[in-house]
Amino acid sequence: MTAQLDKKQLLQAYRTMRRIREFEERVHLEFATGEIPGFVHLYAGEEACATGVSMHLGKGDYVASTHRGHGHCIAKGMDLRLMMAEIYGKKPGICGGKGGSMHVADLDLGMMGANGIVGGGGPLVCGAALAAKVKKTNNVAVCFFGDGGSNQGTILESLNLAAVWQLPAIFVAENNGYAESTSSRWSVATGNIADRGAAFGMPGAIVDGHDFFAVYEGAGEAVKRARSGGGPSLLEVKVNRYYGHFEGDQQTYRGPDEVKKLRETKDCLMLFRREVTKQGELTEKELNQIDDEVKAEVDEAVNFAKAAPKPEASDLLTDVYIAYA
Amino acid sequence: MKSHPDCLIGIVTNPESGRDIRRFFNSSVFPTSEKVNMVVRILAALGVFGVQGVLMMPDSVGIAAGVIRAVQAHRAISPDPWPVVCILDQTIERSANDTRRAVRLMMNQGVRLIIVLGGDGTHRVVAAECRDIPLVTLSTGTNNAFPDFREATSAGMAAGLCAMAKLDLSKVCRRNKRLNVRIGDREEIALVDVGICSTRHVGTKALWGVENLAEVFVTFSNRDSTGLSSIPGLLRPTGRDDGEGAVVRFDGTDPAYWLYAPIAPGLIKRVPIRSINPLQFGIKCQVAISSGTIALDGEREIEFTPAEHPYVWLDRQGPLTVDVLKALELAANQGLLVTGKHDPDPQRQFMS
Repeated sequence: MTAQLDKKQLLQAYRTMRRIREFEERVHLEFATGEIPGFVHLYAGEEACATGVSMHLGKGDYVASTHRGHGHCIAKGMDLRLMMAEIYGKKPGICGGKGGSMHVADLDLGMMGANGIVGGGGPLVCGAALAAKVKKTNNVAVCFFGDGGSNQGTILESLNLAAVWQLPAIFVAENNGYAESTSSRWSVATGNIADRGAAFGMPGAIVDGHDFFAVYEGAGEAVKRARSGGGPSLLEVKVNRYYGHFEGDQQTYRGPDEVKKLRETKDCLMLFRREVTKQGELTEKELNQIDDEVKAEVDEAVNFAKAAPKPEASDLLTDVYIAYA
Repeated sequence: MKSHPDCLIGIVTNPESGRDIRRFFNSSVFPTSEKVNMVVRILAALGVFGVQGVLMMPDSVGIAAGVIRAVQAHRAISPDPWPVVCILDQTIERSANDTRRAVRLMMNQGVRLIIVLGGDGTHRVVAAECRDIPLVTLSTGTNNAFPDFREATSAGMAAGLCAMAKLDLSKVCRRNKRLNVRIGDREEIALVDVGICSTRHVGTKALWGVENLAEVFVTFSNRDSTGLSSIPGLLRPTGRDDGEGAVVRFDGTDPAYWLYAPIAPGLIKRVPIRSINPLQFGIKCQVAISSGTIALDGEREIEFTPAEHPYVWLDRQGPLTVDVLKALELAANQGLLVTGKHDPDPQRQFMS
């Protein structure tokens, strides 16, 4: 079984989840002011998933994210100021302010990017995992996708390819119950996405995405398997999102109290706090201190982004092609 | 056989059984479609013996929906009567509460018997709610020491005969042993094993390592069990009907000996044994470590701290289960499955 997490790791886990939550709650507020261009899809409610998986990854490991990608970027270690600036479409943004929320990327961190194409991460991960295998780097590649993405041909083809080539890949299905506004009950034929792994000759397992420790353990086994040459795995994380598919989504397809109940009973941060304080591993004071620090950090990121300049017209001609030396 | 207007049976199919993290070690999965097929085969058997109604728990993965589709298709192509299948009206949480709620609703509606498709964990949840309603057990889980691994048709036949009161239940049912765990005001049961480990969080719930194990209590253990009960099963097996259980204690630093045991499907571990002893009914055993987690039938369910002092005891107040083999033997011996050439009941023609 997974080794016990030490205090430093527990603090790191909480800080990462809190950074994601604070970031997303703030983007929710700021988006309503009309200053943020384009669409944003918030990850609030799913923090334990990105955090539990990413804590097993190093800088050399790759992540391909989704349109709901802020959480994956933060968990992989992206600078909040550069990320916020990117979402605001500002020049100091991590992609020069030209990508926005759905194209945040930092290849130096192995973050291959949020992705506006549903299911678009699968082929990228196969490529990254193949590179790691051929170059014998011992790195792994993680593909996050949703229940909507699970029905895309790209994901199914990628599961097949990863299994055929026994790639060091982990496919993490974040099943939040809705593909945009369509319930996964009506759109995922096997019900459990994890069941599809068997069809491709790879193991598929389910973990509770509200419980950081469950995700951490499950992802740990999948990453260990991939890193040790055991090939790909499919990990389905049953989770919930607190906001709509996109900001502005009226969510008429959800029950009136659905999100309220989720926040009250299944909030991953609340559950984490309850567990670690009960076990005497962390104190309320330590956790509150992180809350305060993260709030200040996000405040600073927003201020930085708001004050930053927009890209110039001439920037349209940069970053279009890459030159291979 | 004629259908009986009052004869209701419940079917519990855990949609999540067989999908935990232990899949990473054995790659097997019990697909949703096969769970549907099993229920269909049960319905065919129940229909023959005149069971009129079946209550099923709803789910979010399509088992109940698949069964309804199969029932509709059956009606269109076959004259053979199947029971009417009703899906219980309950909300779905995607947790063990779904099973608990379903069993309570079934009980309220007066089911005579409940057929359970799941592993040890699913059966434990049903057993905690079903009081004296007999269970027919079918394994579709990861660790399946408690339920029968058997063809659903035979199980359906035995269930139908019992529900229609064709058999004396006292002759074909077993009263199972169970383990009880008490921690503060909370009380839980286990049907096969209780594992005490020093891991602090329940996490994925599944238990697949032995390095943090302190002790294991079992109600019974077989030589060919898989899961924690395989450990005493390979050392000193205890039968389901024996008047005792067993407790094994572990010592990773100075074990008396090591044992190779299949603690999960596809996962054989070297286990450091300190001792194995019989566990008598009613003896309250305080757990061996001050904090950690308690696994019930292979799943970590309870976290405990030094301020709490959980204890475990064995009794014989577990669920009643139908011994399918015994039931079919009795039915055969009583001539219940034999009919004459000119039997007027068309449902019995195939047996002539």
